[in-house]
Amino acid sequence: MASEAVENCSSHDPLLDIDSSDSSSGLKSDEYLELQFRVFRLTFLLTIFSVGIAGFFWGIQASASLFIGALSGILYFRLLARGVGRLGTSSKIVGKVQLLVPVLLVLVSSRFPQLDLIPALLGFLLYKPALIIQFLLMP
Amino acid sequence: MDSITTAASVVAAGLAVGLGAIGPGIGQGSAAQGAVEGIARQPEAEGKIRGTLLLSFAFMESLTIYGLVVALVLLFANPFAG
Repeated sequence: MASEAVENCSSHDPLLDIDSSDSSSGLKSDEYLELQFRVFRLTFLLTIFSVGIAGFFWGIQASASLFIGALSGILYFRLLARGVGRLGTSSKIVGKVQLLVPVLLVLVSSRFPQLDLIPALLGFLLYKPALIIQFLLMP
Repeated sequence: MDSITTAASVVAAGLAVGLGAIGPGIGQGSAAQGAVEGIARQPEAEGKIRGTLLLSFAFMESLTIYGLVVALVLLFANPFAG
């Protein structure tokens, strides 16, 4: 009787079952990766949409600046996601390397006259609407 | 750019970064603490906790980025430099 209870407990509790814990670990990382890909996909869609609108209304220079800003926003989010993914496993803190991306973006856009600062910054912040949409779509 | 504008821009840039990083720093620290505790207590919810932590970090760190951008604009593309 007691052994049956132990068997039932171990077969249903993922914390006690080593095999299911291993497979759920893969699922956890899959879930995290899937969230990142959803945000990247949404950011790409928003980038294409806004680059088209900026190119139509404000010309190719604003459009190119917006595109470069959006690419650096995606790079920033990727670095942030990598830092959060390492938290608790191989690192105790979330790194601040990703903050170099907006610094470089502002420096580059202030040095090169082909790039506009405001569209580049707006493009960099395009990951935020994607995050808000992702928050709204989350179950 | 005259010397008073330069000095005021440098001081304002330092204040923008320094003061703008205090709040998000505290918030990120407590969020990371809660997330790591949550993962330790409930390892099966790690994916969801990490995802929520990533989204919260992105929102919190954007406040730091605003201060950083204001400081960099004041230093490298100052609109008040006549």
